Amino acid sequence: MMKKFREVILLLLLLSFVPHAEGTRYSLPGKPALTRCRSPEKETFTCWWEPGSDGGLPTTYALYYRKENSETVYECPDYHTAGKNSCFFNKNDTSIWVNYNITVVASNALGSTFSDPVDIDVVYIVKPNPPEKVAVTVMEDKGWPFLRVSWEPPHKADTRSGWITLIYELRVKLEGENEWEMHLAGQQKMFNIFSLRSGGRYLVQVRCKPDHGFWSEWSSASHIKVPDYFHRERSVWILITVFFAFIFLIVSWCIHINSHSLKHCILPPVPGPKIRGFDKQLLKNGKSEDIFSALVVSDFPPTSSSNYEDLLVEYLEVYIPEEQELILEESKDLHDGCLKPKGSTFDSDSGRGSCDSHTLLMDKCGEAKDDGRQTDQDGSQTGSEAQRQQAAWEQEALTYAHEDMISPDMSSGRVKTWPSVFSPLPQYSLSPLSQPSSLETAKQHCLSDSLFPPSSLSSYLTQPGQSTKEYVEVHTVNEEDMVLLHPVPVGHSHGKGCLQTHQGEDYSKVNGVDKNNVLLLQREVMEEQVDMCPCENKDANGATESYCTSSAQKSIPCIHTALPVQEEKAVNGYVDTATMFPLPIH
Amino acid sequence: SLVFIKTTQSKLFLNQLISLLFMLYMVAACKAVPISDLLDRASQRSDRLHSLSTMLTRELDSHFPPIGRMIMPRPAMCHTSSLQTPNDKEQALQVSESDLLSLARSLLRAWVDPLLVLSSSANTLPHPAQNSISNKIQELQEHSKNLGDGLNILSGKMGPAAQTMSLLPYRGGNDLGQDKISKLINFQFLLSCFRRDSHKIDSFLKVLRCRAAKMQPEMC
Repeated sequence: MMKKFREVILLLLLLSFVPHAEGTRYSLPGKPALTRCRSPEKETFTCWWEPGSDGGLPTTYALYYRKENSETVYECPDYHTAGKNSCFFNKNDTSIWVNYNITVVASNALGSTFSDPVDIDVVYIVKPNPPEKVAVTVMEDKGWPFLRVSWEPPHKADTRSGWITLIYELRVKLEGENEWEMHLAGQQKMFNIFSLRSGGRYLVQVRCKPDHGFWSEWSSASHIKVPDYFHRERSVWILITVFFAFIFLIVSWCIHINSHSLKHCILPPVPGPKIRGFDKQLLKNGKSEDIFSALVVSDFPPTSSSNYEDLLVEYLEVYIPEEQELILEESKDLHDGCLKPKGSTFDSDSGRGSCDSHTLLMDKCGEAKDDGRQTDQDGSQTGSEAQRQQAAWEQEALTYAHEDMISPDMSSGRVKTWPSVFSPLPQYSLSPLSQPSSLETAKQHCLSDSLFPPSSLSSYLTQPGQSTKEYVEVHTVNEEDMVLLHPVPVGHSHGKGCLQTHQGEDYSKVNGVDKNNVLLLQREVMEEQVDMCPCENKDANGATESYCTSSAQKSIPCIHTALPVQEEKAVNGYVDTATMFPLPIH
Repeated sequence: SLVFIKTTQSKLFLNQLISLLFMLYMVAACKAVPISDLLDRASQRSDRLHSLSTMLTRELDSHFPPIGRMIMPRPAMCHTSSLQTPNDKEQALQVSESDLLSLARSLLRAWVDPLLVLSSSANTLPHPAQNSISNKIQELQEHSKNLGDGLNILSGKMGPAAQTMSLLPYRGGNDLGQDKISKLINFQFLLSCFRRDSHKIDSFLKVLRCRAAKMQPEMC
């Protein structure tokens, strides 16, 4: 017993010494791990594992697998085809849509270590080989080169039967660059690359992927050099340069031809100072004091005038050459009479444009004409008185013609139409008081003013004695070649008279539209008219004095045209008759 | 007058004949949609179906309890495992077109009910990506229905053999489980079965497509 006890102790000592003597410890092999399994064509597959520590002893690895429905454990049929630490399953051993449960076992003298089991289905681990026979050629498309890349699927993958469906991708880059240009090519086996740099060296690679699987590795790079097409570019530039030079020449020639008018267009001439009575030389040569003194006109600002509205006055310069012509050739004379004085002192640079408006001019002419009519209408007066009046009228007209436009003179009896527009007419009644003849003319003016319907020029219609309105028409021509006029009853207003009035006014109120699409305008009657007298239809030979407007309450429609209704003109009941009734009407 | 009547009658008859011939021609022309086009469209749909199922399984797997992987039922427990399908390429390429189509249709038909179960369970799935999963299940149902209709039309063109279908009833019930773990496990299991079956359908249709596309070898 003592002997056995001594043997056991010796054995234990020996066992404990032996490892210390060697310097290493043996252990079980480390746990291996299956890293990946791949199938290149869905017909075979390979699994690789990573060995753990070997534990110091020679370790062997074995792979065992079990198929889905059976419990039979098989061992890997081929450890060598795919390299170290791999297991290759050939076609006979590969089943698809079947789960493989694979385990790797590492064994050494001390024991075995099992790896974690892995479940795989071959159809989910497909990673094909790269595409083969990648060919890159340079081709030309209308003078511009492009690369045509073509390839074939890996020879193992059976795409013809549809067993595997592959999609391709390629990448291109210039030699020396870092950025690749990727192109997805789908299922086609050919691709064109455009936009190449002339003379560049390119690298092309292709890879593929099954419809539900992993991308393959990139194929080996194909090198290609694009030939220089710089000379073709240069010829294009030469053409462009020549073309633009040609265009430039033409444009400069055109500019030269039209230089004068262009100059006027771009740099319009600055109007020089045109002050009447001012010596331009003063500006160039004179001193500033001289210039300013020349500018100061003796009677400007007018201190003699007490009424500032006279400054706004535009004088009617009616030039009546002969009294006969005034009567007989009314229309022609009017033009001459109206336009002549304008011509004498007409100056393009003076600011009297508004005064030269056509309507106002016609108003003045109309007024002159009506004045002429009025004078003849005074048939009850003796011819001598008429002639006297006409002479006075003519005298005044002549004085007008020589009027200095800049410094308006306040001599009485002048026809003032502007004030009739802008200021109340009491001044009319006031100023001619000094001279009886002018009183007559003033009255005539009042009367003539009354020919303008009160509705248009409302501001000045608040005058007593200003309540007449009437129209005149030609009654007869007597044996002395004088036109006898008579007033037209208000109810039967003459077209021409109304025409006159409607020339003068800008707006009339629409009363209504009758069945023939005729606008019925109403003459506005001022409410402020105090001295109203009921107006009855005037006879043809009515008296000249007592004219009055119709009562304020009654509006008389003025039916004088048959123009169709123009819908867009009527705004708030007011119609712009200036545009509605173009001259002449009938 | 008799001759007149006869000519009008014959004219009417002629008109009728012409219109009938025209109608027949139109019907024939309309029927002549190439099968390869139909198969191409069908395989595109099946491709999308399988991609969706793969995305779903991956999404579900991202937050899956590790223990679930341990107790996952085996794929042999799928309700469609009884259907005999080819196991490798040689077997698959020997199957006739009608049989391939019949297999595809049977598999697709077998998933109509389970997809409903999946859809209803997805609304209450205890998973962080529940919303996305639910949407994808909806899309799965749509594509599945469209593909089923398309395959029905195809089978009509390919003869009576293609019309036969195998019935693979789903007996899993409407409920995937009471507790969170079993719900997730059963959901994942069903999805894995569907993933495989959709891959089968896709493969069969693509083989059929290449067989029908003899005129367009560049497609295959």
